[in-house]
Amino acid sequence: MSQSGLHIHDLHVSVEGIEILKGIDLSLQAGRVHALMGPNGSGKSTLANAVAGHPHYTVTSGTVTLDGEDVLAMPPDKRAKAGLFLSFQYPAAIPGVKVANFLHAARQAVRPGDLSPSKFRAMLFEKMETLDMDVAFLGRYLNDGFSGGEKKRLEMLQMAVLAPRYAILDETDSGLDVDALRSVGQAVSALRATDEGQACGFLIITHYPRILAHITPDVVHVLIDGRIVMTGDADLALRIEREGYDTIRDEVAARA
Amino acid sequence: MLNADERRAALDAFTATPSGRGRPNRYWKHDLDKLDATSFSPSETSTTVTIFAPPGIVACSLEEATDRFADVIARAQEHRGAAKFAHLTRAFARTGAFIHVPAGAQIDEPVIIRTRANDTTGAFALTIIVLEPGAKLTVIEEFEAVAGSTLVYDSHAEVGNGAQLSASAIQDFPQDARLIVTRSARPQRDAQVAFTHADIGAALAVGEIDIALDGPGADAQVDALFFPSMTQHVDLLTRVDHRVGHTTSRTAIKSAANGSGQGRYLGIIRIVHDAQQSDASLRDDALLLSRGAHIDSVPALEIAANDVKAFHGATVGAIDEEQLFYMASRGVPRDQAESMIALGFFEPVIARFPTEGLRERLRRALQAKLA
Repeated sequence: MSQSGLHIHDLHVSVEGIEILKGIDLSLQAGRVHALMGPNGSGKSTLANAVAGHPHYTVTSGTVTLDGEDVLAMPPDKRAKAGLFLSFQYPAAIPGVKVANFLHAARQAVRPGDLSPSKFRAMLFEKMETLDMDVAFLGRYLNDGFSGGEKKRLEMLQMAVLAPRYAILDETDSGLDVDALRSVGQAVSALRATDEGQACGFLIITHYPRILAHITPDVVHVLIDGRIVMTGDADLALRIEREGYDTIRDEVAARA
Repeated sequence: MLNADERRAALDAFTATPSGRGRPNRYWKHDLDKLDATSFSPSETSTTVTIFAPPGIVACSLEEATDRFADVIARAQEHRGAAKFAHLTRAFARTGAFIHVPAGAQIDEPVIIRTRANDTTGAFALTIIVLEPGAKLTVIEEFEAVAGSTLVYDSHAEVGNGAQLSASAIQDFPQDARLIVTRSARPQRDAQVAFTHADIGAALAVGEIDIALDGPGADAQVDALFFPSMTQHVDLLTRVDHRVGHTTSRTAIKSAANGSGQGRYLGIIRIVHDAQQSDASLRDDALLLSRGAHIDSVPALEIAANDVKAFHGATVGAIDEEQLFYMASRGVPRDQAESMIALGFFEPVIARFPTEGLRERLRRALQAKLA
């Protein structure tokens, strides 16, 4: 099926009248992992937020389709129901809302009535064990007073519980220690192999290549100044680790 | 109960005492200073007070207690602060509850005092609670009303040295009923008072909480929530009076409004000149859930001592768009997200209510208003 996949075509995005993304083309397929790398301010988070439907980001032209459906026509909650997941760089804290209740509400919203409460709990406990999370998390308020690492683990738990078709991880690796990085790697690997019925496609946005030691990407893109300037395989990430972004920037400038 | 002369004096005091509340304005339409006492002509059966009490304490109607506990009642009356609406209760009340906990008695099971307005002639009830030194008690003050009624209620607690009182008031009145509730306590040396208060229903709900810290080491915890919706008006005043040094208090208020709901909160902390080494905090947060909703929040810190800690913090605003987007990105629709966030906003105050039954009742009542 030619339409299958998350297809971003010629996407232009502005924030407060300033164009940040200047024509992005990117296609994710089930089970494949793309890494999107780039220096600070290149527009990586803008892409993640625009695809997820953050009201602050204005899509001025271009298309995004998810298995043939027009993503840009949907409000953010419908995008999640269609199978899109965004792991936030800075997840919002919501005091008074317990993690367990939120996870249940989210699962119910995305896959209504597919699990009995007891099966849901069993699934939740299993995912938490995989991610090496204490069950005490469930009684805490959503991201309220969480450390950076705890927030990222909770993002991965939500991803595991919702089992999306396409997941965008926005700097999920930033500020994590090695153990937490390994957990992220495990969460991705688990869904990459098989979700409940279908493998998930990933877009892993990162500034540093170290997460890629835990998750080997199939494709690596480099985003600079709102454009994807280079696409390659996992070796491109290794090159960035060695040389940084400057030589790539120079190479692109010379090409132009 | 009061004799005819005392009632007349109380009525005069009611008329003469200012409410201390703001004037009506474009949002708020009730003038609490112009409430006409002559509009009340309570029937014999206008008010029912039902008390559920565990063994080990005296719990009876105020009428029954009048002879046996004359001194105790007189002492409690003497220490009741001069709140306008407490005078109104005294002028009309012919029934009420009397609770007496002997020294050192630790009572775990809560006492429930249920006051009901049976008709529209005006319902009035007076509660007196006395904890002797070292006693411990939980009291739940509940209110019920028929449509169109007005209930005026006052309670006062004398809390002896080292005693602990937890008192909760919760009302979910019919939409066209009115309620005026004044609650006060006087904790003495090393005594602890925890007041919780929830206004859910009523066309007009006026609440007043008054705690006078009257001995070193005395502590007051006040947690209240209110939520006017549709055309409801809710007015809450809390006053914590640090009368002596080495006293502590914490007041936390959470309010939300939707529809054309109107709310007012006045939070008073007073630390008198001699009350050195006192520690008081006042925090109130208001959440506006619609364009027509309005909440006025006024803190008033009157601090005459110079070696004290006093904190005040307040917020007012709508639900954060980042929170809504976060929940939407997980598939939760906006309406449901708003409801969950608003309920979560109230949760720290809900958590202070002493029984799971009350907490669940509150969550359900708030949820119904958010739907």
